Amino acid sequence: MSTLYERLGGAPAVDAAVDIFYRKVLADDRINGFFDSVDMEKQAAKQKAFLTMVFGGPNAYTGKDMREGHRRLVARGLGDVHVDAVIELLGATLKELGVRDEDIAEVAALANSTRDDVLDR
Amino acid sequence: MASLTFDDRPVPIAPNQDVLSALLAAGVDAPHSCRAGICQTCLSRAEGEIPAEAQRGLSKAQKEQGYFLPCVCVPKGPLKVLRAGPSLEATEVGVCAIDRLAPTVVRLRLEPCAPFAYRPGQFLSLETPDGCVRSYSIASLPEAEAFLELHVRLLPNGRMGGFIAERLSVGDRLAVRGPFGACYYDEADRDRPLVLVGAGTGLAPLWGILRDALSRGHRGPIRLYHGARERSGLYLSEELAALARERERFSYIPCVLGSLGAADGDVEKAVLEGEPQPDAASYFLCGGGDLVNRVKRALFLRGAQLARLRADVFLPAS
Ligand SMILES: Cc1cc2nc3c(=O)[nH]c(=O)nc-3n(C[C@H](O)[C@H](O)[C@H](O)COP(=O)(O)OP(=O)(O)OC[C@H]3O[C@@H](n4cnc5c(N)ncnc54)[C@H](O)[C@@H]3O)c2cc1C
Ligand code: HEM
Repeated sequence: MSTLYERLGGAPAVDAAVDIFYRKVLADDRINGFFDSVDMEKQAAKQKAFLTMVFGGPNAYTGKDMREGHRRLVARGLGDVHVDAVIELLGATLKELGVRDEDIAEVAALANSTRDDVLDR
Repeated sequence: MASLTFDDRPVPIAPNQDVLSALLAAGVDAPHSCRAGICQTCLSRAEGEIPAEAQRGLSKAQKEQGYFLPCVCVPKGPLKVLRAGPSLEATEVGVCAIDRLAPTVVRLRLEPCAPFAYRPGQFLSLETPDGCVRSYSIASLPEAEAFLELHVRLLPNGRMGGFIAERLSVGDRLAVRGPFGACYYDEADRDRPLVLVGAGTGLAPLWGILRDALSRGHRGPIRLYHGARERSGLYLSEELAALARERERFSYIPCVLGSLGAADGDVEKAVLEGEPQPDAASYFLCGGGDLVNRVKRALFLRGAQLARLRADVFLPAS
């Protein structure tokens, strides 16, 4: 039985998804205010870390890292609607790449499981 | 726990502090300029765990040898910074020509006294005898020209610009280091449209990249957009127009802000109107940060791939 990460295609799948996902994030007025840095390569690298994590891939992030990493954003008003938006764009990205609905649901559940850490509550 | 040594002496470093500011605070006379991980003036070598962002833009060989950029390096563990290695040694150059290409643009041609391998579009750091260091993109073509060509914009009260315009003469000697950066033609893009966008002296790397692409047999179309505030700022326009007449594949789109004609002379608009299929092309964007970052983002949102959006922002020295 292969893991979610393997089924999605591993690191090359993350590479294929990152441009599409990042483009959707930048174009979405609900959340693009949180991604206003001009250093696009750095932002894309962070999105890659995010995608690897929610694809169930190898990563060393702890709940504490997620709290600390997003605390600055929570102070700027990050909330449930923004997490919902990110999960929605993630689903749309995977759909575009032809990923099966069951796998998309699994990715969404993985992302959702970090919600309380990301929102620091 | 982050810790730092320089030349085997311990240097205090605070959590989240970058290596350059720790070295400067400790009285180390570390060369630096942009403090944003771009100009590579502070390039150094270290042993220890170097964070990936401190090696961005370096070659594979440099990474393997432990080269890194102290200004964007926040170490997570012990880091041992070594004195600069041999590949950072300065190359002496002799000034062979100084020409005014536009009221505020000087073309500098420098003859290296030792071999200086580079790709057109990369940049070097130029150093005056009194220690002023600035980055300049390389416009020459090594296979055809024995000199290094730079296009320097003269800014009001600019230190390097003033030095070049008022004090430098043909025959003088200067020092350069480099080359740096990844803004050069990649033969893997040979069949794609190549879109070159620059304003002001952002044309310098593009002039090099354009001729490099042509001489390496680029097969896709090439479009060069050059923006200027005044008509007189469209330097090399005769050469570019002649090249466009000669080479069917190459188009030259000069844009003078506020002038009549397509897109009111706004380079950004001209590019977005002129490139209806952004995802197919490979890009080079060079010049001031405002324009480069805006165009980069707009092209990305329209489908251009991030990996094919190469850009050099001419950050001012801090
Ligand atoms: C990777 C890289 C490549 C570069 N390539 C080139 C190149 O090919 N050609 C070129 O001309 N320059 C290039 N630059 C910029 C160059 O390194 C210098 O910053 C620039 O020439 C000014 O140096 P200066 O000593 O004459 O002026 P400075 O003494 O540094 O500055 C004089 C004054 O002008 C201000 N200033 C600086 N930059 C600007 C600006 N862009 N617009 C308005 N005001 C400004 C400063 O804040 C200061 O008040 C590049 C920079 C980088 C990082
Ligand atoms: C859904 C759950 C989420 C997960 C699992 C997640 C995960 C991550 C990860 C792994 C990083 C990289 C951290 C690093 O290495 O520095 C990161 C950074 C970031 N995240 Fe999230 N994230 C989530 C939700 C969100 C939301 C909803 C937003 C805003 C709308 C957001 C905005 C950001 C930003 C702006 C950064 C970069 C921070 C910086 O520049 O330091 N994240 N996230």
